[in-house]
Amino acid sequence: MSTPEDAERGAREEAERRRAAGGYAGVGSQGPLDESIVHGAPSRELLAQWAVIEIDTDEILYSTRKGGAPITFLKRILVRLLRQYFVELEARQTRFNIALLERLDALEKKQ
Amino acid sequence: MTAVHQVLSSAGPYDAVSVQARLWRSLLTERGYGGADHAAAVDPRARGDFAPLERLRPARGDLLVIRWSAYSPRLLRLLERLERKLLVYHNVTPPGYFWNHHPGVAVACAVGRAQLPLFARAADVCAADSEFNAGDLRAAGVADARVLPILFDPARLAERGRAPGGEGPLVLVVSRLAPNKRHDLAIAAFDAWRAEHGGPARMLCVGEPLSPSYAALIGGLANGTVTLAGGLSQPDLNAAYEDADVMLSMSEHEGFSVPLLEAFHFGLPVVARPAGAMPEVGGDAVLWDRADDLAVTAELIDAAVNDDGLRATLAGRGRARLAEYEHAHTAERIEAAIKDALA
Repeated sequence: MSTPEDAERGAREEAERRRAAGGYAGVGSQGPLDESIVHGAPSRELLAQWAVIEIDTDEILYSTRKGGAPITFLKRILVRLLRQYFVELEARQTRFNIALLERLDALEKKQ
Repeated sequence: MTAVHQVLSSAGPYDAVSVQARLWRSLLTERGYGGADHAAAVDPRARGDFAPLERLRPARGDLLVIRWSAYSPRLLRLLERLERKLLVYHNVTPPGYFWNHHPGVAVACAVGRAQLPLFARAADVCAADSEFNAGDLRAAGVADARVLPILFDPARLAERGRAPGGEGPLVLVVSRLAPNKRHDLAIAAFDAWRAEHGGPARMLCVGEPLSPSYAALIGGLANGTVTLAGGLSQPDLNAAYEDADVMLSMSEHEGFSVPLLEAFHFGLPVVARPAGAMPEVGGDAVLWDRADDLAVTAELIDAAVNDDGLRATLAGRGRARLAEYEHAHTAERIEAAIKDALA
């Protein structure tokens, strides 16, 4: 009977053996989400990306109610009706974000 | 009658914090306490059990149990209230997992972590559901943080619903479909196992998605043998546990992990990364995936599915772990915490 401790050791050895025989081609430790996860402070590049506020409403508007499709549809209509307001809101926030980033860059250069 | 009111930042049908609040409510009612449960945001499917926070009307002498798992601006008002408070900390996921997938949740997590000291200072008693989480409370300045384990009620696991369909061994993943749970790695490990060992196999991922767009993202990684079931009712989840051959967790951050205990209840072998509180809960009853190599994960899955002796050892150790979370014992500790907070 193998114990969990034996099985953990055995799994490493078997993976190595199979790799040596050409198995597990392309299998490593990475996953598709790795790059989307932010460890620590976001990079300058990522901040520049986030600075531009542009919201895809189709992606974020939904309802968890039973038969929520008409509610989702209504939410989308409301956002569309208020589009001028939201575009202006996004633009003003983006303006501030970009100006702030430039200011930060200038401060960093001074140091 | 003393009333104990529970307050959550958000309440839903399946999430661990809401389920705990429901179990506490049953216990509180059984022990003669009054009160009701409230949340700043209530999912329409949870309205039978939780009222909006605006309706909270505690009387002097009542106790507020604040379950802290994410920031909500409306919870800040509780700090001004004069009633006694018991803070139950369930952990807040590091926001880095969410910034690119759901900025709103990321903000709730970032502020939630930052505001923990504020809520801890306002509470008369602070508790966490694991030693790992109690560490966060200590870091927030709580010298006497106590551990109140998850209230685990095996009665919930008795009823059987519809078993998942399909052929071949079933690999079960039970966790919210969210970036920290790393379903992408679970699917990659499952695919590697299938490709290397052949034969029919199925993977069932049970858990509410972070958002429809995140569900679509993970759905794009899944082939025909992987099913993303969303949230399941407890009887259907029980049937899945019973039908499964192994439970897999590639999660990178866990404040407790109730599914570990549920898997132990069903005698189901578990392959998991030793993340957060998982080693504390799982102990020696889990096949720990420490290798950071999906080929090793695939081999662990294979061992858990096919090695009968190993399965029996894991099931025995799982039962022993479960004994540490015995309902009556945890219930006593909860009531003692409530009495201390009211004293």
